[in-house]
Amino acid sequence: MTALVEKEIEEKKETETKSEKEEKGDIMSGRVIVVTSGKGGVGKTTTNANIGTALARAGKKVVMIDTDLGLRNLDLLLGLENRIVYTIVDVVEERCKLKQALVKDKKNPNLCLLAAAQTRDKTAVTEEQLKDICEQLKKEFDFILVDCPAGIEQGFQNAVAGASEAIVVTTPEMSAVRDADRIIGLLEAKEEIKSYKLLVNRVRPSMIATNDMMSVEDVSEILSTPIIGIIPEDAGIITSTNKGEPIVNDDKSLAGQAYSNVARRILGEDVPFLNLDVDTSIKGKVKKFFSGLFGKEK
Amino acid sequence: MKDIFTDLYNKVLGFFRQTEKVQEEENTKDVACNRLKFVLMQDRTNLSPELMDRMRKELVELLSKYVEMDKEALELGFEQEGSQMALMLSIPVVRAKEEAEIEAILAKEDEEKLAKSSEDDAVSESEDEIADKSDEVDEESSDDEVVSDDNLDVELSSEDDVIEVSDSVIVDTEEDLSSASKVVENKVKEKVKAAK
Repeated sequence: MTALVEKEIEEKKETETKSEKEEKGDIMSGRVIVVTSGKGGVGKTTTNANIGTALARAGKKVVMIDTDLGLRNLDLLLGLENRIVYTIVDVVEERCKLKQALVKDKKNPNLCLLAAAQTRDKTAVTEEQLKDICEQLKKEFDFILVDCPAGIEQGFQNAVAGASEAIVVTTPEMSAVRDADRIIGLLEAKEEIKSYKLLVNRVRPSMIATNDMMSVEDVSEILSTPIIGIIPEDAGIITSTNKGEPIVNDDKSLAGQAYSNVARRILGEDVPFLNLDVDTSIKGKVKKFFSGLFGKEK
Repeated sequence: MKDIFTDLYNKVLGFFRQTEKVQEEENTKDVACNRLKFVLMQDRTNLSPELMDRMRKELVELLSKYVEMDKEALELGFEQEGSQMALMLSIPVVRAKEEAEIEAILAKEDEEKLAKSSEDDAVSESEDEIADKSDEVDEESSDDEVVSDDNLDVELSSEDDVIEVSDSVIVDTEEDLSSASKVVENKVKEKVKAAK
């Protein structure tokens, strides 16, 4: 009896998904977003892992492609390093099918990873091949996030090849902003890239308050590029990487909240930026001191 | 006794100087912003400080035919205004030249040009190759930067007792320049489109 009911429910689900598919015109056409920066170490891979996880938590089908051949890390941040059987190079060299190479996330079945090969260099995959992989994945997924290697050489050109949107990750430091400017110049020259936005990572509100760090507004103005996200410096990023679990899964973390807000903005929601202002008044300092004394956070 | 006093005086003075200095250096954010803006302009325009200096000298030479200006106080630089880049030139004018004065300078220059071209003709008649080469050089140099005339505003504004000539020129770089300058090109194009 119960089995029958279950079957019925399953059938209903199927018809529902079918009608949804029909509404969408039967074929899904996902958005391909490349996460890039120019400078290394500003948080491209962290951004990729967190935005991808947040989008998947929002119910979207997401696949992440690590294009940093020879220096892969996205698998570590997602805690999937032990599950990788095939890599993007295996797909390109036809040792396996594309679907076989997709590694499912531990927690979220909506999330997949196409890992980079650790033993090969940037020449193992061409621009055309990556474009082709993106085109195939577009049919199955809502979002394809491409993790770009540092630099402006072939690795960058490959990663950008299949994308139509870009997120440029930078920090409020001179060298990162200068490199971001170079990347923006190269993105502008690419016709395929329809839009690009800036994500300012590792922001320290206390240093901005004392005029010892460029503010997000300064960075946005200098690069004349709109902002899609402001991520505060957070020690939790390191501990979450240690555990192999993106920080967006921690609802209490400020950086995690900031990342999930970025995902909501990508989905078209108008989300205000987190208030990161530090209370520098004496009253605020006293408050902080006392709340610290009694172990109350915030 | 005198030594003690001078020592004390210096110490007190030193203390105030130090605090002043600390206050000046405190705002490292502005330092970063200004350095970045400067270096990005160099990156985007492909103009090194040497080239900027040369451009400045040539501009002084050209403009001083028409007005007498304070050559030392001339300011030249690129400024970002939204997605548009502008070449800003600000020159304090010391004195307006007499009409006759300007005409005399121009007439003299025309004469020199005439004399030079007749010399060139003489040379080119005898040696065609050299003339060809100089033509090529001319072409190259004129291709380097295309200034769109539509966007050129020259205005005279009076600030205090000094008349200032400021002109805002949009630079449209040729495609053969490296990708960094393409940024400028694209940004300018975008702006022009928007204006239309």
